[in-house]
Formats: sequence, C-alpha cells, structure tokens
Amino acid sequence: MATLSLQHIDKIYDNNVQAVFDFNLDVKDGELIVLVGPSGCGKSTTLRMVAGLEDISAGRLFLDGKDITTTPAKDRDMAMVFQNYALYGHMTVYENMAFSLTMRKENPNVIHKKVLAAAEILGLTSQLNKKPSQLSGGQRQRVAMGRSIVRSPKVFLFDEPLSNLDAKLRGATRREILLLHKRLGATMLYVTHDQTEALTLADRIVCMSMGYVQQVGTPLELYDSPANMFVAGFIGLPPMNFYDVTVGGGALTGEGFKVALTPEEQDTLKAYNGKTIVLGVRPEDIVVGPDVAVTVTTNENLGMNTLVHGHIGDSKAASAKITAKLKGWSDYKNGDAVTFSFKRKHFFDKETTNAIRKGE
Amino acid sequence: MTMEERTVKRDRMRYIKNSLAANLALLGILFDVLYFVKIYQSDVGTYYYTILIGASIVYNLVFLLAVFLSSEGVKNYKPGYTWLLAAIGIGQIVRIFIIPARAHAATTLVNGESVPVMGDKTFLYVVVLLIASAVCLLASAAVNFIRCHELAEHMKTVAPPPPGT
Repeated sequence: MATLSLQHIDKIYDNNVQAVFDFNLDVKDGELIVLVGPSGCGKSTTLRMVAGLEDISAGRLFLDGKDITTTPAKDRDMAMVFQNYALYGHMTVYENMAFSLTMRKENPNVIHKKVLAAAEILGLTSQLNKKPSQLSGGQRQRVAMGRSIVRSPKVFLFDEPLSNLDAKLRGATRREILLLHKRLGATMLYVTHDQTEALTLADRIVCMSMGYVQQVGTPLELYDSPANMFVAGFIGLPPMNFYDVTVGGGALTGEGFKVALTPEEQDTLKAYNGKTIVLGVRPEDIVVGPDVAVTVTTNENLGMNTLVHGHIGDSKAASAKITAKLKGWSDYKNGDAVTFSFKRKHFFDKETTNAIRKGE
Repeated sequence: MTMEERTVKRDRMRYIKNSLAANLALLGILFDVLYFVKIYQSDVGTYYYTILIGASIVYNLVFLLAVFLSSEGVKNYKPGYTWLLAAIGIGQIVRIFIIPARAHAATTLVNGESVPVMGDKTFLYVVVLLIASAVCLLASAAVNFIRCHELAEHMKTVAPPPPGT
C-alpha cells in the first residue's frame, strides 16, 4: 500500500475563489483518514486534488515519496468511490467491476479472478449477473467499491459514499467499509459531512471549515480535546452548549448561573481571572444537580437517553439555550423547572475561539 | 492452455455473455438484408411478381425476428436456439435454389428482346450473401452448442448458491 503527503496545498479557482488554504497532512501506510466538515469547507475539493480531478494551485502532493502534483489522474494509481456510484446501467455487476481492467486490456482470466475475489469480499457473488438497477443502494455502493478493489490501487478515495443511503443502510455499509479497511489494510481517504461516520471509521480525522484545517487528530482527541469552538461544536451530537462566562472567585459566572471550578480548572484558567471566556458543555456531560436552574421547553425520549431542551433561568435569549442528554427515560413537561450540574467543562478563548488548555 | 486456465475460462462464462455467437447471428441478419435488398432491386419486367416473392417477403420478416430472438437467446447460453439457428442457416442455403437459381436460369422479354432475369454477376453476388449468412448462422449455432455444453459441464462442478441469495 502507500503513504501520502500533502504539503501546503492551496486551491484557487479561476474566479479567484480560494477553496483550500495551506492544507498539510501526512497519511501513514494503511491509515484511514476522514475529512469532515460542513458543506463548502473544501473537503471534497481536497480529495479531488488528491485524485487528480482538480489541479493543485500551490503546494506539493507526494505518493510514497514521489511527487505526483502534476501527474494525470489515470497515472496516480488511486481509486475513487463516488456518492452517486457512477455505475454503467447497461452493464452487469460483473462487467462494471471488470470494466477498468478490461480497458487496460488485462488478461481476462486474471480479471475474472480479481472480480470474483472482490465480489467475495463484498458479498456480491450472487449478484454478479444483475444490472445495477436491480440492486439496492447499499449493494450498488458495494459494486462501486468492488470496482475500486479489483484495481488494487495504492490509495482508496471515498467521496461521501453513504450520503445516498437511508439511515439503516448507511450504518450497515459503514460497518462494511470498516471491515473492508481492516481486511485490505489499505490507505484510505474518506470525505463526509457526517460526524458519526467520521468518528466510527477514522484512524484520524481532519476537521475542516472555510477551507482551513481546524484540527487533525484521532476521533477521541477531537471529541475530548477540541482545538477550538468550531471543532467542539461540529463533533458531538447534539452539539456542545456554549455560554459566555466570567472567571473569578474560583467559579464561572454566566447569565443566570454560577458554577464552581475545581482546583485543576482554576489552574487552567489562572491567566483569565476577571476575563470573559466561553464555557463549553457537552449535552452528555450534563446531569441533574444543584448548580444551574433550567426551564424545560421540550423533552425527547430516545429510549436509552432523553434529550432535554430548555433555557437557563428565565432568559429566552438564544445564548441561554441548553440541551442535556440525560441517561434513561425522563418525562419533563414544557415549563418544568429542573437544575443541572456540569460534569465536565471545556474552555475557549472568546477572541480567538481556541481551546484554553493547562499551561498554554 | 493449462487445466486451470481452461477452468477459469469456463467459469467466466457464468458472467460473460456469449457475444461471439450473438454477433455471428446478427452478422447473418446483415448478409440476409443485403441479399433481399439486392434481389428486390434486380427486377426485370414482371418476373418476380408472383406468390413466390410475397412468400419471400414474409419469410424475410420471420427470418429477421427469429434470428434476432435467437441472437438474444444464444447471448445467454440458451441451448435451444442452437437448433433454430442451424435450421435457419440450412434454410439460407436452400433459398439459393428457390429464387436466385430460378431467376438466373430464366429469361424474360424486354422491348421484344429476350434477356436473363438475373445476370451472372448479380447471381454470384446474392449467392455469396446467402452463403455468408448461412455460414454465420451455422457458426453461431456451433459456438453456442459448444459453449452451452462446456458451461453445463462446468456448472456441475460449481456448488449451488446458498438459498435466499
């Protein structure tokens, strides 16, 4: 398989719109990297530049140490799986999977062996004589993956491959991709806007916004130690709650609430004494407790958890909204008063939006 | 070709259409079309205006339908179409003696002068077309017969798919 290195990559379109700014990433051999971010953040553009489908405006791209910045897409030895499958409707599954090798005029017997092996991996053996129109969305996506596998490329590129599937099928196909990665041990770049896909699939996640890389790290790093408010708000479902608070007297004082800081938290925030920072609290880090009075607006039972939406105190301001993910089944009604405590807190500089960490 | 290569080649037939046999059948249609275009062009006087030419037109329509259907059949390794194609292929040879040979031997009066209904050149041309069509159809039948037999033999060695797949 292969290593991939993206160094100071920029993408500037002809109309001078810059889609990607100074993208740097080293992908290790066999690593599954997920590029995640909202629509328009430049993740697909980056993937297309790696594939060779878009020119690289500035920077260098290396595959196994070889500069492939200007190498045509067909010579890059990469396979891309698209959101819309891009299968030939008039061909059978077998013919679709064999197509790229047939075009290369490979030995038909070799093609046959590769197609059967890929079909076996993907559980498509019994579907080989069918046309794509006779398959479900998940099966079609597996065919698209099979078409990539038979080529034995150095790098697999996935551009939102699950976006066209329904929620249940998405989960199943996601697990198949994960198994496929483990089985092939291939280097993969995967683009998605779905944080669940990112968290479950990735060895490392690249979180992007507005063309900039916001953070690169393992799923746990991004969830546990987000680099800034964007990452904190993007990773995690429901998103993190943010409040402007003032540091002082061993506590944080916000609009309608005051929460005590642990000695360790006080140590982290010692440089911010008397200043206003942003407090971030994940919904799952909120528990019923004595600190923050909340008026409930809606209560959503999800079975194992309950999402309780409300606002702090009597304030109706958007900045006072709170979402808590409580364990078990709750039956709060609109207008009910409840008090919460924050098990874990994240702190962000109000001006830079960067995370405040101990010793920084 | 090694034993393994032969096995893989046979196994490929499970997923690859029998394009050779199908294309040969379609080529047979093409030669037949060229034939009937020529034979209807070469009319001299009223020689052809008999029930025979009506039957020929109907036969050509049936021929087109049957061979096209057969080409689809053999594409999917349906053994039954072997015999249909072979029969139609032999029919193409027989057709040489029905219209072309008779027209070639016959004469007709044009402006009070006796002229052959079909000249040597035209006769040779249509005979070549009918023979070419027959060869294609018989070859298609032969290819289909061999491949269907090979596939059937191979399928005996392949485990059936698990139920529900």
